[in-house]
Amino acid sequence: MNQAEAILMGLRIWGSIGAVVAAIFLTIGMDRIDEDAREAYIFRPLLIPGVLVIWPLVLWRWYLYEGGRDQWARRYDPPRRAHFAVGWLLPIGICLIILAGLSQRQTWPADLAPVQLSAPAEVSQ
Amino acid sequence: MSVKYIPVQWNANKYIYDAVMLLGVGLFLYVFLYAAPGILSHERPINSQVHTARAFGACAFVMLTVILCIGPLARLDPRFLPLLYNRRHFGVMTAFVAITHAGYIVDWYFAFSASNKYEALLFANTSYGQLAGFPFEAFGIFALFTLILLAATSHDFWMKFLSPPVWKRIHYLIYPAYLAVVAHVSFGILQDQQNHAFTAIFIGGAAAVGALHLLAALKDRRTDAALKADAADWVPVCDVSEMKDGFAKIKLLANGERVAVYLNEGKLSAISNACAHQNGPLGEGRIIDCLVTCPWHGFQYDVTNGRSPAPFTEKIPTYNLKLKGTAVLVHPQANVPGTYVEPVPVPQGGPS
Repeated sequence: MNQAEAILMGLRIWGSIGAVVAAIFLTIGMDRIDEDAREAYIFRPLLIPGVLVIWPLVLWRWYLYEGGRDQWARRYDPPRRAHFAVGWLLPIGICLIILAGLSQRQTWPADLAPVQLSAPAEVSQ
Repeated sequence: MSVKYIPVQWNANKYIYDAVMLLGVGLFLYVFLYAAPGILSHERPINSQVHTARAFGACAFVMLTVILCIGPLARLDPRFLPLLYNRRHFGVMTAFVAITHAGYIVDWYFAFSASNKYEALLFANTSYGQLAGFPFEAFGIFALFTLILLAATSHDFWMKFLSPPVWKRIHYLIYPAYLAVVAHVSFGILQDQQNHAFTAIFIGGAAAVGALHLLAALKDRRTDAALKADAADWVPVCDVSEMKDGFAKIKLLANGERVAVYLNEGKLSAISNACAHQNGPLGEGRIIDCLVTCPWHGFQYDVTNGRSPAPFTEKIPTYNLKLKGTAVLVHPQANVPGTYVEPVPVPQGGPS
């Protein structure tokens, strides 16, 4: 098995486990932990892709809710101060990446053959 | 919010928002594919599949660029706030456009691969040790997976189930995803682009995203410097004469938290400035019937107890206040979210 096959196999296994978790969580689990989900069924298929992708986190959060260990006080924790770091890192990252990309170009507009737009003036002949 | 879940919470404004968005996507694809293919790309002839793939790829880039411009624009100028209101649908649509782009690429370039086409995508280029010819596909795969993750966890259920801090941290992945898209383009199509209309659009769009985030961060820093208070037992906020009924004064406490102090029908109340939903600036909202509405997504809170009106259950911290002469003072220790605090009456002759 080459590395690409291994990666795809890993994804298939991940998705298969996620499908089992989704089937159990969306039919049994969410009714037990979220009163807003009881008797609300139409929206549940929309959650399947999310469970497939982050099923370990779903299981962990489910475990916390079931044991009453969800620290509700920590539900209020504004992470907005990260905006400032993003405000600096994003433009620096964008500049560096574009410059790195352009530095690898093997042709530039300057390499194009010049085009004469008008006839040369007589005095310069 | 906290009511029975439904698949999509529609209202008239969201219909208009989505209609404009879909119209914009359709218009972009039409222009790229039919109206101006000579301007946007391709002196060398390409077939319709590659042309379509590039159209959807360019569309996804432009959509993601617009999405990321909306946040800082709204922080720089409140007139852009309506664009923030339904950005979730914009993001989900972008994920679908990006998936379409990837689908066309894989189905065309790897159609006759001897192995599985997704395996072929992974091992077609493995020059990870060099910048020239770097496998730009890897950046695109990362960005695509991130967009799918964010779209798949965009329903209100996920915010409540994961808790807002965890949900928000996951959705911060949009920033590395955008950098990955920039790298995907820079080390991909930009290496071979001969017609520079698209180059200008790409660099201009990415520069706008970077510049707007920088400007918004600098504005926030200036605002914070003006609002910041020194550590004290009771922190002065403002003079009561500066307050206007129904509106707030915001103060940045020494511990980094922002508090919004409201004057409501002649009485003062203080709550956290950060909405429990996505930390929108509550202090920029106006009180109607004792409820302040978050300017970002419309969540509401009673300013006396920091609770959303029933049947909703969101709670934010409240703060204790007192008047010293005409000076409004706030205690920097936040109360437990949802704690009722008796409003402080402003003496007769105060602001109306």
